Amino acid sequence: MKRYVIQQMALLCLVSVIMILTNLIGYDMPLTDSIIGILVLDGIALCGLAISKYMSRFIHLPSMMYVSLTALLLACPISPVQAWIVETTSQVAFMAPVTALGAFAGISLSKDLKNFVKMGWKMVFITLLVISGTFIFSALVADVVLKLTHAV
Amino acid sequence: MKNAKTMVRKYWKVYVAAVVLAVICDMIGTVKINTGIGTLTLFPMVFAVILGGLLGPDVLKLLDTEQSKAGGTLVLVVLAPFMAKMGISAGANLGKLVSVGPALILQEFGNLGTVFLSLPIALLLGLKKEAIGACYSINRDSNLGLTTDIYGPDAAETKGTFAVYIVGSVIGTVFISILAGVVASWNIFHPLALGMASGVGSGSMMLAATGVLGEMYPAYADDIMMLGGTSDMLTGITGIYMGTFVGLPLARKLYAWLEPKLGKKKHRKGTK
Repeated sequence: MKRYVIQQMALLCLVSVIMILTNLIGYDMPLTDSIIGILVLDGIALCGLAISKYMSRFIHLPSMMYVSLTALLLACPISPVQAWIVETTSQVAFMAPVTALGAFAGISLSKDLKNFVKMGWKMVFITLLVISGTFIFSALVADVVLKLTHAV
Repeated sequence: MKNAKTMVRKYWKVYVAAVVLAVICDMIGTVKINTGIGTLTLFPMVFAVILGGLLGPDVLKLLDTEQSKAGGTLVLVVLAPFMAKMGISAGANLGKLVSVGPALILQEFGNLGTVFLSLPIALLLGLKKEAIGACYSINRDSNLGLTTDIYGPDAAETKGTFAVYIVGSVIGTVFISILAGVVASWNIFHPLALGMASGVGSGSMMLAATGVLGEMYPAYADDIMMLGGTSDMLTGITGIYMGTFVGLPLARKLYAWLEPKLGKKKHRKGTK
């Protein structure tokens, strides 16, 4: 458990450097605020991952769920630290982690390229349909329900 | 600290590559291209995916398969701070989230709609049982695990899932960022609905889609991110159950019903 937390902390620190760079270069945010904001996000992420690791003994749920729930509880209206959390993290662009994510996702997919080339055009076409279908039907249902419930 | 040494050896090259990629791609910035069907918005992320893909064992050989796998682990690490940011936004706007709650939950069922679109076409193209595995879901990691678990690693269904999984990991992020832009330019769906739809069950695809949408609807950008993240989280939790109890049975029923009709038609055409 302790080893897992230390390992994740080290990895988070590493990727945070890239996020701070993106925040500076891509979104022109100030350096000190970026560092503080990312550190707060890292802290929350680490708590969530630790809880997830602990809970995985009982029930297996995606670790990202614990991370976002921890953040949600800390930032909800009844939380005593809400103002501070929202304030410090506001200087981190939502898209700041995205470039790093793309880089890692690209590196990760590079091992699949050989298999990809072997796939016929039919599978590529079906995949495009599957992704389009998932996106468009979800948008359709969401749109209809949003309008029926007068949420927009 | 033997442990730390192995970690350094495993990750350093991947990490250096990612830093270099991120800096280059952020300096390129967002590129917008006007095309006939709408504005194509290319994010630094898209460039990073493409360039990252080239570094691996199959093209430039700068990174080996082991390091490529380490990249996969780091995707999850980067996703964690994003999910924290998303959670903060959700907590701070709890009222807003509750008001769109019904849409957020029900659109999870919309993910299944893809079966009706892709399965008939897969059959028309001559696919057999692979079509079930290929079309019942968007086929990310958890779905691949599920199909393998139910049908076994050598079954036709699993081959279908695996094919879509592989193609999706290679072109998924780039394709969905184009798709989100095109669908948004139709102007038939509310930006918030599009944000929710972005949560397809893959963090990188969700970010690619919400990024483009945020650019197109700056006023809704933060809400789109929040809803995309929440929806992606929901898909992560419900995906396995949706697949087991709704997606797969639905795909099988549809297959049993349509295959004799569409499969035969194809056969007849073949014999003429």
